[in-house]
Amino acid sequence: MISVLVIDDHPAMRAGVETVLKTTEDLFPVGAGSDEHELWHLVRRTRPQVVLLDYHLPGTDSLLLCHRLKNAVLPPAVVIYSAYADSSLAIAAVAAGAEGILNKSAPATELFEAIRSVASGAKVLPSLTAEAVDEAADKLDEEDRPVLALLLDASGLPDVADAMGIPLDVAAQRVQGVIERLRVEVPTLG
Amino acid sequence: MKALVRVVPPERILSAQWFTLFCITRVATAVVAPLLLTLQGVEGREVLLSACALFYGALTVAAASWWPSLRTQPAAWVVDVVAVLALIVAFGNWRSPFYLLALTALVLPTTALAPRRALCFGAGFVLAFFAAALYVGIDWHAIATTARVQSLFAHLLVPLLVTGALTFGAELLRALERERRRSERLALEAERRRIAWELHDSAKQRIHAASLMLSALPPNGDGDASPVAAARRELSAATVDIETSVTDLRGPLLEGTTLGEALCECARRMSIGAGTEVSVAGDAPALPAFVAAHAYRVGCEALTNAMRHAQAAQVEISIRASRQRLELVVTDDGAGMPDDVRPGASGLRAMRNRAEALDGELRIAPGQDGRGTVVALSAPLDRAGRATA
Repeated sequence: MISVLVIDDHPAMRAGVETVLKTTEDLFPVGAGSDEHELWHLVRRTRPQVVLLDYHLPGTDSLLLCHRLKNAVLPPAVVIYSAYADSSLAIAAVAAGAEGILNKSAPATELFEAIRSVASGAKVLPSLTAEAVDEAADKLDEEDRPVLALLLDASGLPDVADAMGIPLDVAAQRVQGVIERLRVEVPTLG
Repeated sequence: MKALVRVVPPERILSAQWFTLFCITRVATAVVAPLLLTLQGVEGREVLLSACALFYGALTVAAASWWPSLRTQPAAWVVDVVAVLALIVAFGNWRSPFYLLALTALVLPTTALAPRRALCFGAGFVLAFFAAALYVGIDWHAIATTARVQSLFAHLLVPLLVTGALTFGAELLRALERERRRSERLALEAERRRIAWELHDSAKQRIHAASLMLSALPPNGDGDASPVAAARRELSAATVDIETSVTDLRGPLLEGTTLGEALCECARRMSIGAGTEVSVAGDAPALPAFVAAHAYRVGCEALTNAMRHAQAAQVEISIRASRQRLELVVTDDGAGMPDDVRPGASGLRAMRNRAEALDGELRIAPGQDGRGTVVALSAPLDRAGRATA
């Protein structure tokens, strides 16, 4: 059985995902939350294997949240669940340490497959095109580009600090800065 | 939703109010002058002058009513000032009953001009009046008495006062009107943002949830033809529609530009490096905002189709607007519409929806010699004031 935590600000989406997960034999929702506070609470209490994280949480940068989640003790696998899953978001999601990215319009079978894959340690990410990487690199300062390269190479925070020859807390700040810069603006925000 | 009404430029409303003031004061003073003369007991020449004043008052009001362009014509203002001062000169005394009539020549220029120029016009009027007074002769001995000095100064200062008051009033109204328009636009934009937010953050999420739950239903063997698959396709099309609406709602209103200019801009944005030649013929300056916005979107969509999908080398946009109808025709020489329009081609559906929203017709047909596509939107303008909720 794979335990799944659903974080989405819209009740219809939470209920929808929980409903379809319950139709399967091997996936079960351990809870559903609508914001960062509930996420941490539910993660500590239920220790899910997979977190299905809405990309567009009001008032929260989901990518930074994902990054913090992945750097917590015993991190769950994270699937970024978004209405906009294009390749520029994919790069930001990979940099934030997410194992998967899935479009909200995908059918339930695809959702199940994605959850099973990330739970077994695989990645569910669109292939990153060279143009998308260049475009992402253009958003960053010159000295932050190696950080992005390391992040895309699935390096953890200690690896980044090591490779860059900087203290861990400085590396953490640099990585946060990079993820914030890569954030894809959802058209309806603001 | 608030009804969108036919847009009349606010300047026109304001200038109509000033014109009313001009008519009332002009007629009143043209009548007062002969009355004053009658009280004093008129003689031969003064009867003629009274008739002239009455005739001139009626003539100017009639002319300015008939040809509105005269109201803002500097040459007409100068002719008017010369004419009213000529009456004073003909009367032979600067303390003339036609003085009040002369003052009314200030109403239209001072309210139409920018403040600085209006004050210059007022000063010019004072100088012209002083010159006229010098010409008919000022009795400098009589001026020596306090009352006469006061009277002369009053005659010279009153035009300045009138100019100042009218200029200030006109400028204040203009500022208020600008402010009102600005706050109206801000309110409209806030409302559009709110609707966009609701569509995106609520409706779209619900559709995703419904689609997800449908997709989890056990398949009944019909594959793509099953009702569930069809329902999911519809929901997926609905999210595309919502995306389109959200983009529209977040796009700018055609504030301050005409349909032709906006479409030119749209073509310029798209044709950068595309090698397509776009020409826009005709324009529709004063469209209701609602019609302009929809027509603009239809035009943009047709342009997009021509350039992106049909690889047209030339696109001609023609805009014709009469009092009753707006005709927008986009002709291209591209590959034409595919016979079986893609199910996800929400662009065409969006164009039809817009035409419907305008109570108009949309015709999409192959070009004259079978090449390219003609997209023709025809929308009524006389009913454009109706509610569009």
